[in-house]
Amino acid sequence: MQFSSRRNQDSASLVEMTPMIDIVFLLIIFFMVAAQFAQQAKLDLQLPEEKGGSLQDSQNTGLVINIREDGAIVLETDAPPITLEILDERIQSAISSTGSPWESLLIRADKNASSSALNDVLRLLNKHGLSATRIATEVP
Amino acid sequence: MRFSSSQDKHKLNRAAVNLSSMIDVTFLLLVYFIVTTVLAPPEDLLTPALKVEEGTSLTKEELDPQIIEIRLQDGQPVYSIGSHLCSDRNALAEILVTLPVEPGLIIRVSNDVPVGFAVAAIQIARDAEFERVTYVPAK
Repeated sequence: MQFSSRRNQDSASLVEMTPMIDIVFLLIIFFMVAAQFAQQAKLDLQLPEEKGGSLQDSQNTGLVINIREDGAIVLETDAPPITLEILDERIQSAISSTGSPWESLLIRADKNASSSALNDVLRLLNKHGLSATRIATEVP
Repeated sequence: MRFSSSQDKHKLNRAAVNLSSMIDVTFLLLVYFIVTTVLAPPEDLLTPALKVEEGTSLTKEELDPQIIEIRLQDGQPVYSIGSHLCSDRNALAEILVTLPVEPGLIIRVSNDVPVGFAVAAIQIARDAEFERVTYVPAK
């Protein structure tokens, strides 16, 4: 195997590496950014594994209410848990700023959480006059 | 800026930087990110109607026809519908397909059952082609 001698002979006909390096760097940047977005966009919860049924509504979400496995209610990924009173205010401001209130809210509840927190949230929504709700599932 | 001048390429041919190491490192980085990236699983939605028992709008006639109660029995979550009691979704699905879909279905969920069990009941009702599925939080 004489790699070095062949290299000298073929130096004029070297394969152009620049496009490949460009693409590889673009792939690296894509995976770095995608990894960051995946961590920041949604709270890591084990959603109920169901196929769901109304994917077309998922684009209009304003307020996302996350319910963790321990029953804590969290609105944003890095934010601390909030009380029902604070959630009450946030729901009020969310539904007053949109024309279709219940479609602007999304509940993401961990499948292992007890329904107590979910029931509390749903009672709050009903108190604000919402006639339906949206519960997120993970497509199996 | 003259990136593609052929004269320059010939001049620099002997002094070309060896890119092998950089490509090795770059590929290692690429493989690392591909392996460690956790893609977010696809999500969908269930959209049950919502009522509470304390509310004044819920009449006995509305509640009577078809109600699934989800509660704990001997530490295990069970679906109770009429005189039937079942703990797995297939049995519940078999019961639901025998019911008329026009009156809709009410799902009353106790505070102590896991969320996954309650959401499964909504999904089973949807699969049985009930259009009106109402979630009622238990008192």
